[in-house]
Amino acid sequence: MDNTRTMTEHPMLQIKNLAVDFNTARGQAHILEGVDFELFPKEILALVGETGSGKSVTAKSILCLLPKSLSQSTGEVWFKKDNLLTLSNGKLQKIRGHQISMVFQNPQSSINPVFTLGEQISRLIRLYLPDQIESVMKLNNCSRKKAIDTIAEERLNEVGLTDVQRLLKSYAGQVSGGMAQRYRIALALLSSPKILIADEATSALDVTVQAHILKLMREICQKKKTAILFITHDLGIAAQICNRVAVMYSGRIVEIAPTEDIFKTPYHPYTQGLLKAVPKLGQKEALAYVPGMIPDLANPPKGCRFHPRCTYTMDVCRRRKPPMTAVGLSHRVACFLYDNHPKPRKVEI
Amino acid sequence: MSAPSTTTAHAASMPRPLISLDRLHAWFAYDKPFWGKVKTWIKPVNNISLDIIQGECLGLVGESGCGKSTLGRAILRLTPLTSGTIQFQGHPIESLNASALKPFRPKMQMVFQDPKASLNPRMNVLNILKEALVLNREVDPEHHLEESVRLLSLVDLRPEHLFRFPREFSGGQQQRISIARALATNPRFIVFDEATSALDVSVQAQVISLMKTLQHQLSLTYLFISHDLSIMEQVCARVAVMYAGQIVEVQDSTALFNAPRHPYTKALKDAVPIADPLHKKDLGVLKGEVPKLSSPPKGCHFHPRCDFRQDLCQEQEPAPCETDPNSWVKCHFHEQLWKQGALKDH
Repeated sequence: MDNTRTMTEHPMLQIKNLAVDFNTARGQAHILEGVDFELFPKEILALVGETGSGKSVTAKSILCLLPKSLSQSTGEVWFKKDNLLTLSNGKLQKIRGHQISMVFQNPQSSINPVFTLGEQISRLIRLYLPDQIESVMKLNNCSRKKAIDTIAEERLNEVGLTDVQRLLKSYAGQVSGGMAQRYRIALALLSSPKILIADEATSALDVTVQAHILKLMREICQKKKTAILFITHDLGIAAQICNRVAVMYSGRIVEIAPTEDIFKTPYHPYTQGLLKAVPKLGQKEALAYVPGMIPDLANPPKGCRFHPRCTYTMDVCRRRKPPMTAVGLSHRVACFLYDNHPKPRKVEI
Repeated sequence: MSAPSTTTAHAASMPRPLISLDRLHAWFAYDKPFWGKVKTWIKPVNNISLDIIQGECLGLVGESGCGKSTLGRAILRLTPLTSGTIQFQGHPIESLNASALKPFRPKMQMVFQDPKASLNPRMNVLNILKEALVLNREVDPEHHLEESVRLLSLVDLRPEHLFRFPREFSGGQQQRISIARALATNPRFIVFDEATSALDVSVQAQVISLMKTLQHQLSLTYLFISHDLSIMEQVCARVAVMYAGQIVEVQDSTALFNAPRHPYTKALKDAVPIADPLHKKDLGVLKGEVPKLSSPPKGCHFHPRCDFRQDLCQEQEPAPCETDPNSWVKCHFHEQLWKQGALKDH
């Protein structure tokens, strides 16, 4: 995989200062606060963080999928000269699924249980690929229905599904989790999207099934040139398939860097703690962990949101929000430790 | 790599099994007709013989649907058994009825995967703990409050948490309340059924370190069920690998990961994504799907997915073969594979 990408390339998706507030019974909760990152073509970017750090909210707000009555999003999400946050619903509908598609965590529950898998995929084929249906009809001299079936079979084979005829007649509950997730990925790729957002796409699956899906993701990225935003809490996945990693903590991105860099020299104290907490094969000694808990988002700590759990807390951390500082080539970190004098605090991993 | 060294812990004190399973079967009727015989049986626990040694933490890994949880529940007699024996501290408990089981129930506890679902949302922590404390005859009902405070302090929670409700806690705290509830009856044996799978890595690390401390403090015996191989070595000294209703390998955990003896263990190990970008793996080596528990393949259950299968594997079920004390593997060709080094990392 190409990790020595020059960051002068034009980003596919650029998120600037994205903030999301939720209205709750206890007042406004600042779920996201100034999220900045970009997704380049042909890359897999991992968005990692604990539960409640705002990973999924980030993904959903990119496509404006959050309920408007409960939340306000501010900031900019640039995709092909459009700020998605200001687009009308009609225009967004042309982007959702067509150019940016999404795969969710639980495959079985994101497939309609009352229609067969065949009915659902053929509906999308009619919507996204009318030209291809025509050409297959002419080529094979067959009916429209036959043509759709042919395309469905071809697309499902691409994601490694076999025995497609049986699959098309089944309902969501009749297939295994791994098959359902492959099917979902096939649906998401039907329109040849520019960006695929995978929201914990393998978290509900077994390691063996997960391994297949990850391999598939790698192939999609390489063959179809789709940029993938892979949201996960598993740093192992990030290390295995992603080019870059963005670490989120309590609604902010605290560190973003190429995968090798972040695992070799994590700068932010939170990243360091997170990496130490990952269980590894062949490691017997006790796991370290970051003491304390993630903050209450309705009433977050002032300044750096990590300061109550941080071992290097300084005065300034309590007062001001740390800006993103570049500490290396395309390695940025939001921490006052590196504000003026970048010196990495290495951890033994 | 050197041959797996048997840990001195096993040899030093002659291991005494706390729980001993012998040819345990727990089958479910899939299509029970009103009249006549059941045609299809689902066999999540199919002929399992296993010893759980006093004071150890035995890990149980496998893919979902291989029968891990059913085995855990069967040991605690929470699931009807078909045949086989279970001995708890030397007493056979497989055929006891509900009232005869009563003295044993408090000694065996369980912690479930989803802490939110396993705590009653309408009870505060005190009531949750009290409910379990009633079973503990050693504690006077008058002292339930003090005992609850003590239990909370064992799991690093504070007395003021007693009057809060489960929803007011984070996932890690809820799981600690579940552990406190399990400890309330003063058990000897606890089954952790995917107890840390729903938690974040950093919270998981906290809960695991708590579990280990408690095990030493209270000299407990654990059965730790998980699908996650990478935490096994942290938690357990010995690990059993389960596939399609059967245990295929039991090994010292370090040996299991350094030198697996069963092809399935090797495949499972290879599927774990490791947090090291410099060590990229060829993911997804294991082909095919988990077999149906109603009709597992003939012979060795793993043979359709095995790279090393031979004709014998399709016909005859392998017998468990002891490799070290308290370790065994169920594979016809494990010695051959071991000599060839076929299961080693390249």
